[in-house]
Amino acid sequence: MSEAALTVENLTLSIGGARVVDGIGFAVAPGEVMAIVGESGCGKSLTAQAMMRLLPSAIRLDAGTVRLGADDITALPERAMQAIRGRRISMIFQEPQAALDPLSTIGSQIAEALRAPLSRVRADVRRMLEDVGISDPDRRIDQHPFELSGGMCQRVMIATALISRPGVLIADEPTTALDVTIQAQILDLLRRLATERQTAVVLITHDMGVVADIADRLAVMYAGRIAETGPTEAIFASPRHPYTALLLASIPRLTDVPKSELAVIEGRVPTPNEYGPGCRFANRCPRADARCVTETPPLRPIGEGRSTACFHAEAMA
Amino acid sequence: MSPTLEITDLKVHFPGRGGAPVRAVDGVSLSIAPGETLGLVGESGCGKSTVSNATVGLLAPTAGSVRVLGTELAGADAKTLRDIRAHAQMVFQDPVTSLNPRMTIGAAVGEPLLVRGIARGAALKARVGELLEEVGLRAENATRYPHQFSGGQRQRIVIARALALRPALLVCDEPVSALDVSVRAQILNLLVALQTRYGMSTLFVSHDLAVVRHVCDRVAVMYLGRIAEIGPRDALYAAPRHPYTRALLAAVPEPDPAIQRAKPRVPLAGEIPSPANPPSGCRFHTRCPLAVEICRQEAPELRMVGESAVACHLA
Repeated sequence: MSEAALTVENLTLSIGGARVVDGIGFAVAPGEVMAIVGESGCGKSLTAQAMMRLLPSAIRLDAGTVRLGADDITALPERAMQAIRGRRISMIFQEPQAALDPLSTIGSQIAEALRAPLSRVRADVRRMLEDVGISDPDRRIDQHPFELSGGMCQRVMIATALISRPGVLIADEPTTALDVTIQAQILDLLRRLATERQTAVVLITHDMGVVADIADRLAVMYAGRIAETGPTEAIFASPRHPYTALLLASIPRLTDVPKSELAVIEGRVPTPNEYGPGCRFANRCPRADARCVTETPPLRPIGEGRSTACFHAEAMA
Repeated sequence: MSPTLEITDLKVHFPGRGGAPVRAVDGVSLSIAPGETLGLVGESGCGKSTVSNATVGLLAPTAGSVRVLGTELAGADAKTLRDIRAHAQMVFQDPVTSLNPRMTIGAAVGEPLLVRGIARGAALKARVGELLEEVGLRAENATRYPHQFSGGQRQRIVIARALALRPALLVCDEPVSALDVSVRAQILNLLVALQTRYGMSTLFVSHDLAVVRHVCDRVAVMYLGRIAEIGPRDALYAAPRHPYTRALLAAVPEPDPAIQRAKPRVPLAGEIPSPANPPSGCRFHTRCPLAVEICRQEAPELRMVGESAVACHLA
């Protein structure tokens, strides 16, 4: 286990007694891109915030550990955490313009991640800007965020996040606010930097296209739990949880028959106070039987590095 | 048959900072036949939403003509606009802000019928019930408020309201972009079913090329206020003629790692220039991998290449 850059075990979060994240666990190796996918409210962003130790005060950490390499950071005091954020674990967000300080130049914001004045680290910052594909870095380094496009601001955020060479990068919907041609550039950049710098990347997204593009492995979340996890190619080729299968079938593709009926998932996601003793997908699942309603299917290994939380996984093979 | 919508050389300019106007839409022509769905795709700032707003009279054209069922909207008086809006209804991206939180959904769906004096009392109530059922909701939901519904259900309510007057033209601006994947499929299935049932024309604005391919008969690709390429769906997707159309299609991440990872990587360099100061000649030349001298100097006109009209010197 010691070779994983990030290990999350049994992460359990609640709000007012309701379990919004329920026993999540996964590990990410250096240089690996691990995607956490799911729809609104599945708990993927809370999981990201828990890893950064940036949970809103209303959310309680009931159980679980987060480790960076061999170090347990779950209970570190905030002061110690501040020394770790940006150095050993960094995060980038969906809205790069909102995440940058409008009053400060991009050079000094990136330098801040090194805890140094820009004058002292200017050469490093310039090199980092070049590495994230910002053209004309000598001019850009002294500009403010409003002078840059959304795509360029996201490059600046990535530069800020990675300049201290953290082992782990959490990317929460990093391309959702960007146009498709810019998204392609940013995804290529993330993939390259993860490999070159051996950064473990946790990619939080709702977009299966983004997952298919750059993730080595993925975890599909539904209602606070992992439904299925494993290597990207294997899961897309043959999903072993009915939720994953329906989610994939509901996406219009460039290869399907136009105007054909897309698969739909009937009903809606249960709210945390509606969770019963069984599988949380049971009320919408075409394969559900009596056992699914009364018993929680554990996340169990099914070979090839895959795990699924479904009693019917073998029937889907 | 005469077209439901006919837009000719439409220009919509906004006053810009420091003099130069922002030419959001700068010479767009297109038409939609009865029963046809036209997709309008492009990235942020290409002018697609400005075209859709001008189509329902929410923005006045700077120049050019917008005709809905033969009636000119450019320069039309308030009464003409009011009358024509009965035939051209709009569905916006965000169903939450599209509905008045203090109005029951029955009142919202029935409002177009009430204000135009088409139905009232028991007849109105019955008609609202029918409309709700057409979009997959129950008639007894009419007395509830928007916050009691999910995002997907709210978009159904917005669609029911848009259908209330049986419009000849439905304008949908990013109707599924704010919705979760599984809900998106439900709304797309509904829109396709309604097209088949009522045969209205649809202008479908979206940044998502896979969604547009799924619901549209013809597709127009916009770049910086102009149409780069317009043609039948299958021709445009199978054999895109404009380098921008090709780049857009190449950039769509396919939800299939086998296909996606086998794709050649030709990411488009650079960013979209400002519509206040568009490049000379072909507006795409600053990012185009094929650009030659003529592209920098002369703006290409749309011309027929195969089944599509393409604005490229090299197509």
